[in-house]
Amino acid sequence: MTGGAGTAVKFRPARRIGGKGHAPHQFERTLRGIAVDGAGRVYAVGDSALKVFGAEGEPLRQWATRLPGESVAVDPDGRVWVGERGQVEIHDARGHLADTWRDAGRLGLVTAIGFGRGDVFLADASARWIRRYDRNGEFLNNIGDRQRKGGFHIPNGVVDFAVDGAGIVHVANPGLHRVERYSADGTLLGHFGHFDGRDPAGFPGCCNPTNLTLDGDGHVIVSEKAGPRVKIYSPDGQLVTLVADDVFDPAAKNMDLAVDARGRIYVVDTVTLEICVFEPKAREAA
Amino acid sequence: MSRKHSRREILGHAARGAALAGLGGMTGLLWLKANATYAWSIDARRCIDSKLGAVGITVCERCASECVLPLSAVRAVNQFSRCGRCYVCPAYFKITSAVGPDGLPSEKVCPRDAIKREPIGWIDPDDPANNFYEYTIDETLCNGCGRCVLECKEPAGLGSIVLEVRHNACLDCNRCAIAQACPEDAFERHSPQAE
Repeated sequence: MTGGAGTAVKFRPARRIGGKGHAPHQFERTLRGIAVDGAGRVYAVGDSALKVFGAEGEPLRQWATRLPGESVAVDPDGRVWVGERGQVEIHDARGHLADTWRDAGRLGLVTAIGFGRGDVFLADASARWIRRYDRNGEFLNNIGDRQRKGGFHIPNGVVDFAVDGAGIVHVANPGLHRVERYSADGTLLGHFGHFDGRDPAGFPGCCNPTNLTLDGDGHVIVSEKAGPRVKIYSPDGQLVTLVADDVFDPAAKNMDLAVDARGRIYVVDTVTLEICVFEPKAREAA
Repeated sequence: MSRKHSRREILGHAARGAALAGLGGMTGLLWLKANATYAWSIDARRCIDSKLGAVGITVCERCASECVLPLSAVRAVNQFSRCGRCYVCPAYFKITSAVGPDGLPSEKVCPRDAIKREPIGWIDPDDPANNFYEYTIDETLCNGCGRCVLECKEPAGLGSIVLEVRHNACLDCNRCAIAQACPEDAFERHSPQAE
């Protein structure tokens, strides 16, 4: 993420949303997934509830989900999709259940949801593939089933991806220390990333990055575990900036990400059950 | 010729039988207690090298240094069902060491080179990252230092490597030197009868 004339955008922690506890805006045991809609509202799933926060972190509303939520996304029509074990719940903006997708044998643990060019993509962490459906729920094809390892290599148990404006699916393949790009029909278009435990440009440990999202300019924002940190890469895979590496619980992993239209980055700390918000600050010379 | 037993005689026989049975039972219990085999084990949930949520710690190595045997009776064991079979295993490679020309860390974790790394399944000859790897621990080399256990601990690894007491080597000392030294009181003594 660069500004004009070779400047790099730095980020600063802005606020924390949620946390562990029994209050209405908190989570008791788990916080798994987040999403941000066009108006900047933050949607978070954990325990067996979906909670909506305003752009400044104020709690707006919440509703129960039938099963513990693993992932969440908001489609272009404002409907809220919640990925669970074996099914996806689709709610309207007020939280009324509009539909439930089940596909026996295809939908295991749904750890990510994305939309692109009329398609719905669901990450099935049980099979370690991504399932592509049309908007009516008709299965079209898998992404990742041609991997030699039988699917994405996810020792962390989560498949995470994001879909760009051209319908290209960007997937974290942590066991290979790569971010991979696929066309909607499952063709591998390219990848970037390599192992490196010293150079921040590389992905350290056994299996990173664990999660990713895309900003409006096509930058790839990734989170890593052990130690937990968030970085931004250019669309061609060059490290742009380190967002944060010292604000998360050291045991946090599988930290879901979201970014809003103003460039603010939202990160789930899976141990403290907080959503950490980072916002761009002064542009510094690169 | 049979004769009828009086009620007093029948009760007397019954009482003597019960007394004999009780005596036999007591004798058996005393024999078992005298010959009981106790065994030491490690509670992985308490072992500092593998305890979940413990970060920023260093390996204690007491299992390697305190045993009365020349080579400790404690060994690291990889529980394959929990192992991620990663290309870059943090328990095998020192992941913060410099990257070598093969793209892998240049140093290993085990000071005795006791961990063996082999690709398994159908091998991709062109892309070694594209294979699963099996990590096995040579028990003739491992001394139970626990370094690999610490590195395999969540969240860096999956916690598949744990320390275990090898009962074919353990002398079952009454006062185990490792148990005395264990900072987390993770060594436990079990009696078979209690299992």
